[in-house]
Amino acid sequence: MEQLFFILLALLTLSAALMVVTTRNLLHAAFWLILVFFGIAGFFILLHAEFLAVVQVLIYIGAISTLIIFAIMLTRRIMDPQQPRFNSQWGLVGGLAALLFVVLAAVTTRVAWPTTSATLPAEPIKQLGADFVGVYAVPFEVASVLLVVAMIGAIIIARERG
Amino acid sequence: MEYISNFFVNLGNSWTSLLSSFLPPWAVILINFIIVALLLVLMPVIATMTLTIMERKIIARIQNRIGPNRVGPWGIFQAIPDAIKLLTKEDIVPVNADKPLFNLAPLLIFLGAALLWAVIPFGRGVIGQDLNVGVLYLVAVGSISTIAIVMAGWSSNNKFALIGAFRIVAQLLSYEIPMVLAMASVVALVGTMKMGEIVELQSIPFLLILPVAFITYILAAAAETGRAPFDLVEADSEIVAGYFIEYSGLKFGWFYIAEYGNLLAVSAIAATLFLGGWRGPFADQAPVLGPLYFGIKTILIVFLLMWIRGTWPRFRIDQMLALAWKVLVPLGLFNLLWVATMIKLPLPVWLQWAFILAGNVLALLVTLTLMGQAAKRYAARRGMVGTRA
Amino acid sequence: MTDTMMQMTGLPFSDVVPGAVTEVTKNGIVVAADKLLPLAMHLRDREGYDYLSMVTSVDWPQYFEVVYYLYRVGAWHSAAAAASQEPLVLKVRLPDKARPELPSVCSIWPGADLQEREVYDMMGIRFTDHPNLRRILLWEGFQGWPLRKDFKEPYYEEDAKPFKSRHPDGKHAWAEDRVPWKDNVTYPVGWDPDLWTQPEVQYRKIMQVDGGGNGHSSEFKTERVLVNMGPQHPSTHGVFRMVIAVDGENVVGLEPEIGYLHRCHEKIGERNTYIMNIPFTDRLDYIASMSNNFGYVLAVEKLAGIQVPERAEYIRVIMAELTRIISHFIAVGFLFNDLGAYFTPALYGLRERELILDLFEAAAGSRMMCNYMRFGGVFADLPEGWVERAKDLVWNRLPRVMEDFEKLLAGNEIFETRCRGLGVLTAEEAIAYSMAGPMLRASGVPYDLRKARPYSIYDRFDFDICTRPEGDVWARFRVRMDEIYQSIRILKQALDGLPAGPIMPPGKKQYQLRVPAGEAYGAVEGPKGELGFYIVSDGKPNPYRYHVRAPTFINLTSLEKMCIGHKIADSVVILGAIDIVLGEVDR
Repeated sequence: MEQLFFILLALLTLSAALMVVTTRNLLHAAFWLILVFFGIAGFFILLHAEFLAVVQVLIYIGAISTLIIFAIMLTRRIMDPQQPRFNSQWGLVGGLAALLFVVLAAVTTRVAWPTTSATLPAEPIKQLGADFVGVYAVPFEVASVLLVVAMIGAIIIARERG
Repeated sequence: MEYISNFFVNLGNSWTSLLSSFLPPWAVILINFIIVALLLVLMPVIATMTLTIMERKIIARIQNRIGPNRVGPWGIFQAIPDAIKLLTKEDIVPVNADKPLFNLAPLLIFLGAALLWAVIPFGRGVIGQDLNVGVLYLVAVGSISTIAIVMAGWSSNNKFALIGAFRIVAQLLSYEIPMVLAMASVVALVGTMKMGEIVELQSIPFLLILPVAFITYILAAAAETGRAPFDLVEADSEIVAGYFIEYSGLKFGWFYIAEYGNLLAVSAIAATLFLGGWRGPFADQAPVLGPLYFGIKTILIVFLLMWIRGTWPRFRIDQMLALAWKVLVPLGLFNLLWVATMIKLPLPVWLQWAFILAGNVLALLVTLTLMGQAAKRYAARRGMVGTRA
Repeated sequence: MTDTMMQMTGLPFSDVVPGAVTEVTKNGIVVAADKLLPLAMHLRDREGYDYLSMVTSVDWPQYFEVVYYLYRVGAWHSAAAAASQEPLVLKVRLPDKARPELPSVCSIWPGADLQEREVYDMMGIRFTDHPNLRRILLWEGFQGWPLRKDFKEPYYEEDAKPFKSRHPDGKHAWAEDRVPWKDNVTYPVGWDPDLWTQPEVQYRKIMQVDGGGNGHSSEFKTERVLVNMGPQHPSTHGVFRMVIAVDGENVVGLEPEIGYLHRCHEKIGERNTYIMNIPFTDRLDYIASMSNNFGYVLAVEKLAGIQVPERAEYIRVIMAELTRIISHFIAVGFLFNDLGAYFTPALYGLRERELILDLFEAAAGSRMMCNYMRFGGVFADLPEGWVERAKDLVWNRLPRVMEDFEKLLAGNEIFETRCRGLGVLTAEEAIAYSMAGPMLRASGVPYDLRKARPYSIYDRFDFDICTRPEGDVWARFRVRMDEIYQSIRILKQALDGLPAGPIMPPGKKQYQLRVPAGEAYGAVEGPKGELGFYIVSDGKPNPYRYHVRAPTFINLTSLEKMCIGHKIADSVVILGAIDIVLGEVDR
């Protein structure tokens, strides 16, 4: 049963991801991206990580893709399907992407991923919260600093010049 | 008597045992899931049928009018001919519309409105699914409607619709934050995100402990559902109807249903989080009273929002965003921090709650004073004469 | 002042602008077209004629005559200016009927903008250096100049009513069949119909707003979008249309487009006999029909020299003030509607309006299109019990309603935050843009025709001019509210002092009024501003020229000025605060 759901979700996510990169209409691409995010949220649910699934929907769909769409709507010229699909650097980027794919494929197939048969903690959210301020305090704070930097940058850009 | 006093749960149990007598267990679960899902999905439709007539009657009374009074006694069946009229309207798709998105948006917005009901407890044990991330789920599902509105606004290929879509992004993203903060202070207080458990632990309504969170939530909820005075998204006097200007017939109906479904949903959430949900006198002895209390509390909040709509003018976009970012977000942050600090103090619970209430009232007073001073400074800077004392 | 100058030199202003004034007539001084601008500059800067009330034109057989009415508004209550409150009338004669041209006075009085466009539209007189000389009430593809005497419209029958040709020999004939050109499909020479299919391109040119790339910051190219508001829009108060250029939500340009309700009121007025025009004036500002009647009969009475009996004067004042209350209730209520208050304040205002309309119905037989006043008086006496009902309304009901309005509306916080500092016009700007009525007074200019040049019997009543210094939307709301109090005050005095007596001058009622040749300008302080009727008679039963100085039309001149820099949502509020009525704007 779970296998079936996984295959269906994987198909959905992958085909949506394919649409993101192939569709000519940038706004459609953004909406396909939302479907990808939904698929990923589905994976989290399959992994019994409801909290992450909900956060995935909240952050990635509710905020990030909305902002992406907003940005696209505000810039009419990028949205034009008549714009050329490739620019002068497409060969370089394509090569890098292929390289990345090879690396990722190698990593996922060669590394022996640790699996555990331990049951889920009773309060996974509390555990998560405790870990954020305990074991993973430094990465968590670094991410916060990054966000603050981004926020300040946005304010500086958007600030009206006197 | 025993059966009646816990009617809904008992009804469910007897139904399940009836089915189990001739069906395998997986089929029983499937059938029950489908029935519950259908009931919950129908909630926005029920909300539309009842709340439209309620709103029209209430606003009519506010405006010295009678309101609909032709169909049925006191016009209570007015929604039925309205629905029939809506269904028989021509379905118009603008020539330059982005057709797939244009057709998808009404479905998506209805989906967002319907999914909300899954975690709302109507009574003890009467809940679709008591998720352990219930509160967060509500916020996440709410953000789906943002996507739907942006989709509708952009695909209509209409400038008013596009302006409406721009506004909704700014508005919903801004007001989601105070809303989450208000909900989070409740979550911090009870230590769980399960909607059912929040009600169970609410021995006194949290309105009396967290008034600031309640006010913030109501304001943010009005903004999230596009109700007055934050109805800029569909401001009929400015951008005509905003994002759904090009929709007609049933597709328009979906937006309409979603609007009223959301209105009822946010009121139900407010009743659950702040007014004690289904709790009330004798609700423990006779759980059948629970849904009744819950309904009354929800309708009270709905009435409050309708009252506001009937009397207040609308904010401007910059004023509305300023209210969110400069007032509600700091207030919500302070409130959350205060609650988090207080519940960690080694004090008896009632004293913690008293401290929380005191902090809330103080924060409210300080905010109002600061706002009043800011208004005076603004008036002085602009050289305005005739400020009211 | 002008009198003394005339005695010295024979012609006024010949010492300051030599050769400007060529002739002094009974109805104004005739100015040479090429000397108009220097004279206008002198009049504005040295003589205090800072307010251009009206620009219109008359098509005489030998020449076109452009008429300017100038007031001293800025300092009218000062002793020197108060002595001569009579308007100064300038007339420019353009003998070249094939190509009439004169300089535009827009640079001196910006309020001439829309009015000069109207003169151009209706009579084809070109104003050189006008910033935006386009047709205003008619569309660009309209062939001909309708108010010229040689203009024959499609389905033209005769020059003046009553038409004799309706049923020749008792047979019915289609007027259309007798017209050689039948329908008007000829386009003006040089007009390209294809351009009309690209409104975006057209308006970008007209409004001088390009597609973007010149936002306030050089790094970010922001696009400026043209948003078309109207003619089908809930907040344009009728079939008004404005094209707004927006940068985000901010208005960077605005172009009002009017004429959707144009019915060539003035041409109809020239065809009609004098009395036939009274019901037509009802349709101008259809919310304030009594005021419109009042202004029109005043102008004709001035021209024909008719004395109005005492009782009729009182009744007229009562009706005019009730009309003002109606109009202000609606203006205030619908201002809240524009702010998004979902009809509640508007319906509160409409409820009181119904009671006043009941009174109108009892007196005139009609609620909105009253057609009540006649030359020399009013059409019917007040019915029995009318005064008591009116007194009950004025003494008991309206003051209480106003208390409700003050409590419910004036103190609303959102209302104040939205309206304070919005659409500000300073006193100088308001005068320069020829704003009238509450718009002018809200900018701190205490100018009210009822005080400045009292007409009818307004000099007998004790009331104040309501002003506010702020000049914003809030001040306009406040002035309207205060004027309702003043109207109640006048009504109390008028209802108390209402004498018995005739309502029409003695003698047989006559339907065909004989008006001596000449011209007259009768103006009332209507609810929305100075409502003037300019009538030229050549002694025939029909007016030779009939022009309406529509206050809301002229108030629209400053709309762009007020809206720029504010948000889209504010532009509808600013428009609502002007309180336009399209029946009057488009005529």
